[in-house]
Amino acid sequence: MRKKKNWKLEILGILLGILWLLPFYLMFVNSFKTKKEIFTDVTSPPEQWSFDNYITAFHELDFLQTLFNSLLITVSSVLLIIISSAMAAYALSRAKSRISTILFFVFVAAMLIPFQSVMIPLVTVFGQFEMLNRGGLIFMYIGFGASLSIFLYHGALNNIPKSLDEAARIDGANRWQVFWHIIFPMLKPITVTVAILNIIWIWNDYLLPSLVINKTGSETIPLKMFFFFGEYTKQWHLALAGLTLAILPVIIFYFFAQRSIIKGVSDGAIK
Amino acid sequence: MAKLLMEQLTKTFDNKAMAVENFNLTVEDEEFIVFVGPSGCGKSTTLRMIAGLEDISSGTFSIDGKKMNEVEPKDRDIAMVFQNYALYPHMTVYENMAFSLKLKGMPKAEIKERVRNAAEILGLMDYLNRKPKALSGGQRQRVALGRAIVRDAKLFLMDEPLSNLDSKLRVQMRTEISKLHQRLKTTTIYVTHDQTEAMTMATRIVIMKDGVIQQVGTPKEVYDQPDNVFVAGFIGSPAMNFFNGRIEGNYFVMGQTKLLIPDSALPEGLDNQEVIIGLRPEHITHKPEKDQSTVEVNLDVVELMGSEYMVYATLEGHSFVGRVDANLNLSAGTVFPMAFEMDKARFFDPTTEKRIK
Repeated sequence: MRKKKNWKLEILGILLGILWLLPFYLMFVNSFKTKKEIFTDVTSPPEQWSFDNYITAFHELDFLQTLFNSLLITVSSVLLIIISSAMAAYALSRAKSRISTILFFVFVAAMLIPFQSVMIPLVTVFGQFEMLNRGGLIFMYIGFGASLSIFLYHGALNNIPKSLDEAARIDGANRWQVFWHIIFPMLKPITVTVAILNIIWIWNDYLLPSLVINKTGSETIPLKMFFFFGEYTKQWHLALAGLTLAILPVIIFYFFAQRSIIKGVSDGAIK
Repeated sequence: MAKLLMEQLTKTFDNKAMAVENFNLTVEDEEFIVFVGPSGCGKSTTLRMIAGLEDISSGTFSIDGKKMNEVEPKDRDIAMVFQNYALYPHMTVYENMAFSLKLKGMPKAEIKERVRNAAEILGLMDYLNRKPKALSGGQRQRVALGRAIVRDAKLFLMDEPLSNLDSKLRVQMRTEISKLHQRLKTTTIYVTHDQTEAMTMATRIVIMKDGVIQQVGTPKEVYDQPDNVFVAGFIGSPAMNFFNGRIEGNYFVMGQTKLLIPDSALPEGLDNQEVIIGLRPEHITHKPEKDQSTVEVNLDVVELMGSEYMVYATLEGHSFVGRVDANLNLSAGTVFPMAFEMDKARFFDPTTEKRIK
């Protein structure tokens, strides 16, 4: 009985896996086809495995520059979100006062505000300060990412006994050293979570960069990908090759970081 | 090595609750002082003020004549052991012990030597590369002690360091801490709610209640000469027995019972006065010959402790416990003559609860 049940679950798991991998399969096989081939048969492998699409997409996208822009914006934003949110949450969790409680609830409440409701005034204000550029975009991401990150860090920090801070202070550490030597390393599981959530969101974001980045050469990958979708033509073969190129860095990153990501998440689960 | 002076030390929290009131104490160099009292008596708050982890609301605290009120904890040259050990979970035992020395900028070789010395004293040599989660409670406690001793600090503060250990380990660690103090001779302040720890470890005990010092003295002083009913009842296990009654001539009278007090033991001017007398369990016992301080009582409960019985009985509405030699054959429900050693009785004022000397 038990065996049969596992077998059913296995089938369900395989089906879900296929369903999840199917878009990647379609993206991958069609990135090697000509435009005509895609419209003839979208599911079959290409007649000829040619890298022409990749070469064209690489040049059209100005891939290295675009990748650099995406990396710069994502890495800077995520690093700054992690540093500022962890420090802010630490201050809010340790300094128990009415002001800290109110501030914390303001951060939590900010999560409920839909981005679309603030985007026009935000872009207008940033425009007046001449910050509609990569720096401005990073600044905005810190603001939008801080709420959830502070919320997550705050929860984790409340589970770290205050006596650890006190022990470190008596051991001779100042507040800065207490945070960086003792508290921050203990936040590793939640830092991994915060990093993953923000990397996924920022790396894939289209709307905010489309409003902020208006200079050629500063576009991110999702922005640049729109280059293949004109008013009259949609160059699916190039777009899919471009998309495959775009997800490669993420896969490579995950390949190298998977051990610490899984460890980070599971460490958090045990606690 | 340090001499501490606390003058009129007071701690008031934001909600105006007074946690510690007019705390005056001088701690001599090399002393092992134990703050003892029930939960909420202010002992930990006082320790935290000494550590610099709580602000001092009023009064002064000084170490070796230097006022410490505004000095940061890291600059007080103190080491502290916490109730929950407060070991850094992401660091190994070695790193935990070396942390303070690294912050001081000490050369690596010296750090290594100091940590290894401390680890040898505490039997931690085999665990230096382990993380705290891979250690038992007793080993964690040792690491916490190790972290304190590598510092070679002027003053050790210990906040209920044994309360998370099981009773057997607690007794073992108690001895180890005492040995460590004899070896290092560092001035130590130790907080506990366990009077046995206080009695066995302290050179002097500070007994506190509701933020106020009740008595300061050696274990023997506070046991034999308690200043008030609270101290008398708190120190000693089982606790001192109390009887309310009246002095009539040389007799202590309660209801129908009259107990003769020897002249030498009776304070002056108590004739016809209401008093509380306190008698330790070991002073309510069995004597073969009956006299005017022997009373026949019905034994409610008899507990065999090995070498002696603890006998629980009631006299004139007062429950009490006595100690009787285990060679006698006793059982609950029997009537048994108990001798009240009135020369050992302590007299207390029923209104102020202070001892009448």
